Amino acid sequence: MTRSPKAKASNRIPVTNVKSRKMKSLLYIPIIALVLTSCSKLDNYPSPNATLTGKVIDAGLKATVQTEIGSGGTRIKLEEISWSDNPTPFYFYSMQDGTFNNTKLFTSTNKISVEGAFVPLVQYDATGTITVDNRKTVQLSNTPADVEFQVEPFLRVTWIGDPVPNTDSTITVRVQFTRGTSNPNFQNDISDLFLYLNTTPYTGNNDYDNRYSKQLTYSGSDGNNFLGQTITLTTAGKLPAKRSYWLRVGARTTYGLKQYNYTDIKKVVIP
Amino acid sequence: MKFYKYLTLIALLIFVNACTKLNVPPLNVIQDDDVFNSKGGITIYMARLYSELPIEDFRYSPARGLNNFWIISPFPAVTGEALSRDQRNSVTESVLYWGDAYKLIRETNYFLQTLPKHTGDFTKTDIDSWLGEAHFIRAFTYFSLAKRYGGVPIVSNVLQYPTTDLNSLDVPRASEEKTYDFIAADLDTAFSKMAETNQTGRANKYAAAALKSRAMLFAGSIAKYNQVSFFDDNHNRLCGIPSDKAVTYFKAAYDAARLLDGKYSLYKKTFAAGDKEAQYHNYVNLFFDAQSPENILIKGYSYPQSVHGYDAYNIPLQFMGPNGYSSEVSPTLNFVELFDGLPKNPDGTIKNLDAGGKYLYFDNTMDIFANAEPRLRATVILPGDVFKGQNMEIRRGIYTGSIAGGISPFIPAGSTIQYPTTNIVQSANGSQTAYTLPNGSKMNPAGASGTFFSEETCSLTGFSIRKYLDESLDKSQVKENFETQSWIEIRYAEVLLNRAEAAYELFNAGTPGTDYLQDAYTAINQVRERAGADLLAGTGSLNDITIIRNERRKELGFENKIWWDLKRWRIIDKEQNNVLYRVLMPFYVAQNGKYIFDVRKDEKNRFYTFDPKWYYEQIPNDEITKSKSLKQNPGY
Repeated sequence: MTRSPKAKASNRIPVTNVKSRKMKSLLYIPIIALVLTSCSKLDNYPSPNATLTGKVIDAGLKATVQTEIGSGGTRIKLEEISWSDNPTPFYFYSMQDGTFNNTKLFTSTNKISVEGAFVPLVQYDATGTITVDNRKTVQLSNTPADVEFQVEPFLRVTWIGDPVPNTDSTITVRVQFTRGTSNPNFQNDISDLFLYLNTTPYTGNNDYDNRYSKQLTYSGSDGNNFLGQTITLTTAGKLPAKRSYWLRVGARTTYGLKQYNYTDIKKVVIP
Repeated sequence: MKFYKYLTLIALLIFVNACTKLNVPPLNVIQDDDVFNSKGGITIYMARLYSELPIEDFRYSPARGLNNFWIISPFPAVTGEALSRDQRNSVTESVLYWGDAYKLIRETNYFLQTLPKHTGDFTKTDIDSWLGEAHFIRAFTYFSLAKRYGGVPIVSNVLQYPTTDLNSLDVPRASEEKTYDFIAADLDTAFSKMAETNQTGRANKYAAAALKSRAMLFAGSIAKYNQVSFFDDNHNRLCGIPSDKAVTYFKAAYDAARLLDGKYSLYKKTFAAGDKEAQYHNYVNLFFDAQSPENILIKGYSYPQSVHGYDAYNIPLQFMGPNGYSSEVSPTLNFVELFDGLPKNPDGTIKNLDAGGKYLYFDNTMDIFANAEPRLRATVILPGDVFKGQNMEIRRGIYTGSIAGGISPFIPAGSTIQYPTTNIVQSANGSQTAYTLPNGSKMNPAGASGTFFSEETCSLTGFSIRKYLDESLDKSQVKENFETQSWIEIRYAEVLLNRAEAAYELFNAGTPGTDYLQDAYTAINQVRERAGADLLAGTGSLNDITIIRNERRKELGFENKIWWDLKRWRIIDKEQNNVLYRVLMPFYVAQNGKYIFDVRKDEKNRFYTFDPKWYYEQIPNDEITKSKSLKQNPGY
């Protein structure tokens, strides 16, 4: 920045009050000039324009693996290997139906994997050696990349019929859960089954109304006895009428971060 | 002539006034020689190290971290020990302890490297003792990191900065196992070098042994109960310890605890066998007696340099000080039911109903606690108990309805709905309208310390915290940044509990050598006897680890230790899985002048769910992005 001659003038010592006021007003000129001056240079890098879409699919059922939104659900891990073989990973989260879409990624080469309530794509033995590595190396560019991960969920939770509203302002649902993997290393005990109820379509362990939701907990291996059985769950409390509710059932095992596997979401209107 | 005079003067000025080399240390910066050549200098250095020591004391809360006076989001309200109006759910720490830890580690490393160069005036004993102390402080700091993050970068010497070799500053995380082994080695060094005694507030060799029993018990629990496994690219297990190491660590914890045998003892100065009142006062005094033989490491405070406000925040409403805070910690009924001496149902819950399902009557609110374990009274102010010479008045409301045939529970068992308003008068807040009783006298619907149905500055559960509250403080002195009672960071009761737990785990693992079950039994009964609790009948009664864990919850409750215990046992995600804690609400019955107790789930729907990924906390993200080698914990 160069100073204007007027700014130099303002450096003179003021002699009288009148003069000093004038000087002060002169002082504003460079300040205003400074404020109004702005950089017009554009960023020297292009904005992120690479797109990554995809889904996490149950290898057995060929349907997407339902999850919750936010940090308790499935997330996508990008390791950018274009410039480092030991990058700090970048994560973003899946939508609750198991699909994902990010349109603001940079052009780069990435190892992509997903993490969630399913058999991990990268597995280690007891000494920390990678034994299974199902990461995908994907080139991201302005041509959208679409990746599909075939995974084995820990549990498959499925509706048996539709939720039934009862006359006592409750809703009864019937579900069953089965193992989604035959790998014994990932067949941990089932710890709980949770009927989530919420007043928005975004329901799951991340957001539910605990006054009406219902949880069944199993101690030890007790829950395993219910594999494949039809389980009936009824909401707690009395639901206010003339509203819509969104329900889903989650179940989980004691593996790792103990994330839930879910059914899809069903809407029930209480007249 | 004059000219020559001036010429000479100028010549002198130019040539004689030569340069002295300016290679002198700056006078306004204290030099190593000033600090490390005098006892006073060493004491000052130590004072700084101790002031930074990550003790979770009267100035710690998970929401605001260490050394923050404002503890209105109290730690006990995260563990289920208590409810609080300002801490209403499960959380993990929001202020992440990382950078300050490595600052303190650098200071200890600097001390360890610099002190041996200044051995002039000191005896070898002094030097060894100080070096040992620095090892203790470093181990304390590393344990504070390990219990949060698992394996962390181990920096055991002073890193040089600036340097041309930047990679030498980027230290990767060590495995969790190596981190604990480093802590153990530091504490072994500390134990062998330090003296038997030290200034109050500073560690001696037994503090090192006690801390080792704590840290090794933690490591053993991780090895045994942790399910998370996380490796870096070089096969270092950053989270988790191989399960076959559990016995090694439990043995190390046990052996370390044994080092204190005969050196410390439980505080029993005013204890009298069979006298519950004396046992109660003894237990209260244990937290205030500076000469207590139980204190292993304390943190002192002094007005105005270093102060806290524990009483101000936690005092029951009726004793509120000039700052206007009160009742931040209201112990839950779940916590109170752990104790002995209460009338209980077969499932261990408090008995408030008769066989016909009607409320039992009590002449006053203390009657139900008439035989309570003295330790309970010293930990929790019970409704109707005497505190500061007054009756602690906690009442939820007045039942004004008919009592013919007994009173049925106001709400269904397990319900979270509000109390009905018919036949019950209640107060929204402290400005109450007195109710006229049938005999013409007037009574406020709620007690002076609660419980109100709207305002939450009162007891929320029917109980208030008692432990550490200074009964001698005048009301005018109950204020923030004013209080100075000491925090006991390590006391002998914890060492006994560490020993009992390690011994029981070793017994379970079938470790030969010692009769570990007998040893655990003796340790537990020592703690119970002093507490005035029921003793275990024999080693046969000690048949479940839960007995030892519950003893720990009772003895160390409200001492900011329980969260870490629940985490290392890996049970808090099951315990806090969409849970509402229970409260005990006393009601006055207008018709007969008696009290009834209602047991219910928390009225304000403070429900707790612990996220399992919190077993390993998040390493600050700016540290991850700064480093090429630092790996984040799973799930973050």
